[in-house]
Formats: sequence, C-alpha cells, structure tokens
Amino acid sequence: MKKLNVRLLRNIKNSKGQFISILAVIITGLFIFVAMNNASTNLRTSLEEYYEITNFADAYVDVMKIPDNEVEEIIGREGIVNAEARVVMDVPFITDNKDEKVNVRTISVGGTSNEINKLYMEEGKRDLGPKDCIVIGQFARARGIQVGDEISIQLSGRKYELNVVGIAISPEYTYLVENEQSFMPRPEKFGIVYIEKEYLKNISNFSNSSNDVILTVEEGSDFEDLKDYIEDTWDNYGVRRVIEKENQLSNNMMYQEINGLEQISGSVPVIFLVVAGIILATMMSKNVKNDRTTIGIFKALGYTNKSIMIHYIKYALAIGIIGGIVGTLLGTLLSGFMTNMYTEFFALPLLKIQIYPMNIVIAALLSSLFCSVAGLWGAKDILKISPAQSMRRETPKSGHRILIEKVKFIWNKVTFTWKIVIRNIFREKKKFIFISLGAAFTVAMMMTTLWMWILFDDMFNVYYGEFMSMDYDISFSKTVSEDSIKDLDKLIESDRIEPNIEIPFELRNGREKKVVNIIGIKKDTEMYKFKDSNDNPVYLQDDGMLISSNLSKALDVNIGEKILIHNFLPNKDDRYIEVKGIVSQAFGINGYMDLDFMEKTLVDYNAINGAYVKSDANIIPDLEDIKNISSVMSTEEMVSIFYDYIDLMIIETVFLLIFSGTLGFVIIYSMSVMSINERKMEFSSLRVLGFGRNEIFGIISKENALMSIIGIIYGIPLGMTFIESIGNVFTTDLYTLDQPIGITQIILSIIFTIICLTAAQLATYRKISRLDFIEALKSRTT
Amino acid sequence: MGEITVKALREASFEIYKGEFIVVLGPSGSGKSTLLNILGGMDTPTEGRVFFEDREITNLSEKELTLYRRNEVGFIFQFYNLMGNLTARENVELAVEICEDTMDIDEVLESVGLLERADHFPSQMSGGEQQRVAIARAAAKNPKVLLCDEPTGALDYETGKSILKVLKEINQKYKRTVAVITHNASIAEIADRVIKMRSGKITEYYKNDNPLDPERIEW
Repeated sequence: MKKLNVRLLRNIKNSKGQFISILAVIITGLFIFVAMNNASTNLRTSLEEYYEITNFADAYVDVMKIPDNEVEEIIGREGIVNAEARVVMDVPFITDNKDEKVNVRTISVGGTSNEINKLYMEEGKRDLGPKDCIVIGQFARARGIQVGDEISIQLSGRKYELNVVGIAISPEYTYLVENEQSFMPRPEKFGIVYIEKEYLKNISNFSNSSNDVILTVEEGSDFEDLKDYIEDTWDNYGVRRVIEKENQLSNNMMYQEINGLEQISGSVPVIFLVVAGIILATMMSKNVKNDRTTIGIFKALGYTNKSIMIHYIKYALAIGIIGGIVGTLLGTLLSGFMTNMYTEFFALPLLKIQIYPMNIVIAALLSSLFCSVAGLWGAKDILKISPAQSMRRETPKSGHRILIEKVKFIWNKVTFTWKIVIRNIFREKKKFIFISLGAAFTVAMMMTTLWMWILFDDMFNVYYGEFMSMDYDISFSKTVSEDSIKDLDKLIESDRIEPNIEIPFELRNGREKKVVNIIGIKKDTEMYKFKDSNDNPVYLQDDGMLISSNLSKALDVNIGEKILIHNFLPNKDDRYIEVKGIVSQAFGINGYMDLDFMEKTLVDYNAINGAYVKSDANIIPDLEDIKNISSVMSTEEMVSIFYDYIDLMIIETVFLLIFSGTLGFVIIYSMSVMSINERKMEFSSLRVLGFGRNEIFGIISKENALMSIIGIIYGIPLGMTFIESIGNVFTTDLYTLDQPIGITQIILSIIFTIICLTAAQLATYRKISRLDFIEALKSRTT
Repeated sequence: MGEITVKALREASFEIYKGEFIVVLGPSGSGKSTLLNILGGMDTPTEGRVFFEDREITNLSEKELTLYRRNEVGFIFQFYNLMGNLTARENVELAVEICEDTMDIDEVLESVGLLERADHFPSQMSGGEQQRVAIARAAAKNPKVLLCDEPTGALDYETGKSILKVLKEINQKYKRTVAVITHNASIAEIADRVIKMRSGKITEYYKNDNPLDPERIEW
C-alpha cells in the first residue's frame, strides 16, 4: 500500500471520534433520503400500476338523481372516453352489538364486471347475483368478514341480508375514509359494499337512474371545460360536485403522503449533508493548518500539490463513500419497514418492496461529491503552503484587545480563565458562528419536533372539546323538515338537540374557487364555539357567513368581502354572500351560516339534513331502526380512534429527536476536538504554568457553553420560524396547523439540547485527559 | 504599522562541486537557511540566478521545481520532521515511492545503523535515531545532493558527531554532494569547502585541503 494511504488510514484511526461523528451525520442524512425516497418511489409506482390495471376514474360526479340514458349520452363528448352511472349510498351496517354504529357505503357495480374503478379481487368471485355482495378488503379484515358469510344492511328503514361472494379492494378507496371530515381510516366502523347494479337500484328507489357518475377522459383533456360541460348539461339533475382525479379523497391522501415523503427526503437530508460538509471543511482546513510542516515536507520530498491535495481529500472521500454505503443500506432496510407500515394504512395490492439502484447510486454519489467538495474547500490552503515557509515557526496570531476589555471595572472582575474564554470566543469568530448555529439548530429542531408531537393532540382536544361540543353528529340520507328533530328528540335521551344542514357548494372569489360544505346551524348554537386566530369569540350573524381560516386563504378573501356561492341544487340561483368572520378550525375546510338564512338563500325553507345531539347516554341503539338516518358519528369514538394512531406519531417523533440530538452532539464534539488539537501548544503552556487537566477542560467547556447559550437564545425564534413555515406548507383542506408552541415545549427543547451538548462536551474529556501536554511542547514529529 | 522588507540574502555568489562535503557556517539570522531553501528549490530568490549542473533552477515552474526536489535533492531538517504515524521504514518508503532509480531501503537503513529498529515509530526512538531515519529518507531517494539544515542542532554532542559521521560516510561511499548548514564552527573542519555567512552576505568562501574525520572534531 502506498505510504500516503498508510498515513491516511492511521490518521483516520487517530481521529476516529471525529471521523465517526461526521460519518454519523452523513449516514443519518442519507438514511432519511434513501428511506423516504425508496418508500415514496415504492408507493408511487405501486399506485400508478394499480390505477392503470383498474382503470382509475378521471372524474367523479355527485348528482342528486340522473337517468341512466343521460349518462350514456355524454360518452364521446368533451373528451369523455367512458362513463359509468352508479348508485352510491351510505347506510347502516347491522351488527350484533347494538351499541356499535357502523356504516357502509353501498356502491352499485355490474354483475360480472365494471369498466372504470375495476374491483381488484382478493378472494372469492367477481360474479354478483341479486342479494350478493363484494366487501372491501380493509373492512372485511377489520370485522372478520369472510367469503360465504352473510351481512346485513339497513336501507330506507328496511333490513337486507346479503351473501358475501368476494372480498376485493378498489383504487377509489386505497385510503379508506368516509369524507373530508374523517381524518383517519377506521376500517372496523366504515366499509364499502359492492352490490349488483339492478338489485341496488331496486331496493333504493333508483330505477333506471343513479346518483353518482364516474368518468374516464382522453389524456390532456381540460378538467374545467369538462366540469362546465357537465354542470351545464346536467343542470336539471342537481349536480352537487364534479371532482377531478387529483382531488378524489383517497387519491389526494395518497399523493399528500407521497409528496410529504418527497418533501422530507428533499429537505432534511440537505440540512444533515450541509452540516457534515461544514464540519468536514472546517476540520480539513484545521488539519491542513496543523499539518503545515508535514505538507512542507511532502513538498520538499517532491510530492506534487495535486497528490498532497488528493491525500487530504481522500479523508473526506472515505467519509463520503462509507457514509454513502452504510446510509443507503440502512435507508433501504428502513424503506422496507416503512413500505410495510404503509400497507396498514393503504390497501395497495401491488405494494412491493423494491430496491431502487438509481436511488442508491444517487445517494452514494451525492455523499461522495458533497464530501469531496467539502474536503477540497477545506484543503485548498495546501496550495498556499510554501515548503520553505512551512519549516519556519509560524508567526504568532496578531492579538488585540476586545471591546469588553475597555470597560475596566467589569474586565478587572473577570477571572483569568474567563478572560481566556471570552478572548477566544471573540477571536475565533467562525468557530463561534458554527457552534452557536449548531446549538440554535438543535434547539429549533427540538422545538419543531415537540410542537409536532403535541400538535395533533392539541388539535384534537380543541376541535372535539372546544370548537365542536356535540356528542353525536347525525346525518340524514335526505333533506327533511325541521319538525323531524322533534320526533328524533322523542326517541333519544338528549340534553340538547339542534338541527343542521350541510351541503356542498362551490365558493368563488375572482379566479379562486373551492368546493366546500357549508353548514347551516342555529344562530344560538351551543354545539360550536367559533374563535378567530387571536382567540376572540366570533358569532354567527343573521346574514352573511363565517369561513374557516384555510378557506379564507384558499379563496384569498377577507372579512367584509363577498363571495359567490355557486349552487349545485336544481333550480337554485348562485348568490353573493358576505364574509362576516374568519374562524380557526383545526380539521376540515368549511363555511358556516345561520340555518334560517341558509335555508332562505341557498336551500329551501325548513329543510335540514342532520342533527347535533348532546347526551351522556348511548343513543346509537335507539337510532338503529330509524329510516332516513345515514350515519351517526360519536365524538368519543373519533377521539379514541385518534389515540390508536398516536403510537405511530410517537415513533416518528422519537426518530426526529434522535436526529436532532445527533446533529447537536456532532457539532459540539467535532468543534471541541478540533479546538483541542489546534491549541495543544497553548494548553501545554498552561499545564507548565500549573493548570490541571480539569481546569483546561473547564476552559473549553466554558467557551462552548457560552457560545451554545447564545445559540440557544437565537435558536428559539429560529424554531418558531420553522414551526410557522411548516404550518404554512402543510396546512391543507384536511387540517390547519396554526397552533402556537407552548412554553413547556420550549423549556423541554432547551433541556434536551443542553443534555446533548453536555454529552458531547463530556465525550471530549477523554481527549484532553489523554493528551500529553509536555510531549506536545517538545515534539516536532508531525 | 507598515510591512518591512527583510533581505535575507544578498550578494551571494559561489559554486558547489560534485561529490564535495560543504559546510555553510553562520550565526542565526545570517541567511543560511534561506540559501539552503533556494538551493533545494523550496524557495525562489527575488533576483539572481541559481544553476544546478547546467540547468537554471531559478526560472523553473512550480511543477518543474517539484520534480527537481523529487529527483535531485534530499533534505534533512534540524527537527527531523518525520511522519509520526509512519514507522522508520515507512518514512523512508514514503520518499522512495515517488522517485525512480532509488536505493535499496534495507541497505540505506543499515548504513544509518537502523535496520533493527526499522519497524519502530518515531515516538519510540531517540533524537539521534530519528535524525538517522531522516537521513535515510533523504539518501534513499538517491539524490545528487543532500541538503542538511542544522542536522545536529537538536542533538547532544555524541549523537551529533555520530550523525555527522553518517553524513560523511554517505558523501564518501555514495559520492553524494552534501551541504550542511550550521552555526557550529567546529563542524566546518570536516568540510571540503566552507561558506561563511553574516547578515545575508557571504563573508568567506574557501576550500579546506585537510578535512578532518568527524570523530576528531570537538565543540
């Protein structure tokens, strides 16, 4: 082996602490990059293949009632390739447990096949006769339903028994949630049941007509044109919503997850690589400075600048290559684990765990390139070293007084070691910036992590405890008169019952538009407590509407401005309505109006389609046989579902905390070790003067502590900026992340940062205690 | 404060002949190290010319100077400047690896009396032994000239003499030109030719017709 390489290996061995610590940062960065990238590629390719095989619909039309022949008519127009009319109804699923409320969505399909959103059979057969059904896989597994079983549903107040002939999954419900308000899947409470077309139409009074149409269109078709066409053509049939593929709930959730993974894999690793790069470049530059004489000797022996540069860069490259290999291997392993985890959330038949050599190559190249550039940057001073100069003793750094020294009455009170500490901090500005930035980043990342940890918990408690305080949210399968509430009240044991109406409309402001549910509630409602972003109460007015903050952002509309409400209901005109208030709402995107005003302007007099109930009793069994009730949601149940999912979040949080801690640890450890190596002579002189090892360790600790404290101080506003930007980036129609961070989380972040930094500092103690100070003064070996 | 230009070396014209043992003598600050650095291609003068054999080295490019240092000269420093994490043999190999037509490493190590200690690290050796490794490292390249900057400066009397002996042996056995820089006047007695310097100038330049054996000198 070339002797330069032997020297390199021994150098690595001698500085293994630093080598490993930088390696750890690189590995962490690549680990996240590869894991997330592989997982997102796995998800994306599986999803796309799945959509291809099952002919996933390009658009969904929610309509009140449309004759089937009208649907046939539009095929071939406006780029429509195929259209399938369906009956889609949410109905109660009858279980043995009377206290349990389970809903299923019944969807009509052809007896032997369907062209769009084809079912992907897992078990049993695709052939459906009357009274047969195919149950969606997630629901079947959660409830233990098997082929050959008999299930019961209730439709229009009548009980129907259906034979399960197959278990299948559908691209439409890869992520199985009921609607935009359901935040997480709850497969044991909500499922899909596919029933033979004619049979379902018969039992649901939809003969020769449907209430849902799915479409496939030619590639490159313009969705807005299609939407306008459908709304115009089917104006008389009550088009509620036309949803494009991108906004279809399950598809949207899938891509949010994929894009989220891609965003993280594209940003977090960069932070780690940049930190590793900076440490590496600093370390290389210090090594070159310390090795000044050695480099001079290399040059005196006849080594070229290039070969000396390569020798030093190899150190950085070694970190890049080892980090690249280990990081990608670990990342690949984790991506398998993550992909497996996704199978619990998403029903994807082709979900495969594949290794993507391209991702690995990119990661390894990225890491090698990054380290080489950092190494090159750090080692560039090699070129400046003149062999003759390097043999001479270095001239001492020019010393000067720092500003604080001029304030004599303070400076005179500072002890000798603190004087050394303060002077060093002011003289080594680069080191000061780097260490304080390290501490700032650590505390900011800790804050972000802890904020995320409590965020959803807080959001849930606020949403289901303060914002909405009903115990049950009952939906009717059609609009009924307000008097129905009185009948309902007689059937259940309630403390309070309030009618409501919830209908989708398209809200437009200039070029911005959004389809959202507007909820009409009693003006004196006790079920909602609206507050603005400053926590001030907001009240419903006789006219106008309140909108959620994410809706205000989406439509770019403010209080006092009017928005156009495009009505999907037949024979109803579009209306301009003034925004009277903007309210904070953690989950979902909605508008709120006084019930009477909404009935008068947008719907029909006396029309409602739901009720909110406050009750300590379990009212579900009382509602079992009631006609026209499509679903009953219990708040308590929603909260308990949330806590089932929180475990996953804890794992993610712990990972993030470890990553943030590693970063802080490595920065402080590397910088301290560099400082020790660089200042051997200075410390040796102090030792000769009678300073003990602990006192010298104390000097370094005090320097780092002071720099870290300053970093922590400016890290707090940095963390708040992180939190605000994450809130802005990740706020969607599904949730609004505008919760502020609590003081407890800030204190915890500071404590955790201090622990990590102290651990790093203690890890350097061994270096100091093993340093032979006297030898350092004598030795001229390099 | 403005910068002050210090002329380390002025009006220095002299010749060194092949196979000679030269001693450059002078007190500290007399410009002798600058002279050695210029001869070795480690530094370039602001004016004046230096020839090595028939080739002018003062107008060589950076790359040509590197090749000149690699193939023509060997350096020996006062503080040995060995690589601390390479053994004695590896230190020698480090120099040999980049040169063609080198000497046998074992032979060189034997000639400096260190064959037995070849696998020791510098930290396990005495100052004299470390300097011998430095000599072996310089000599093994098989250079035409060995340039030694205060090779005995950091050593005790006996060890210093033994190092001079090794240098003299290399000079005589392998017919290498050896230039030793020192402030120790006694060392001049072993030289074939002496250059005396003071304040950056050559004050005396003479041939020593009766050079002594290193064993016989005293200081």
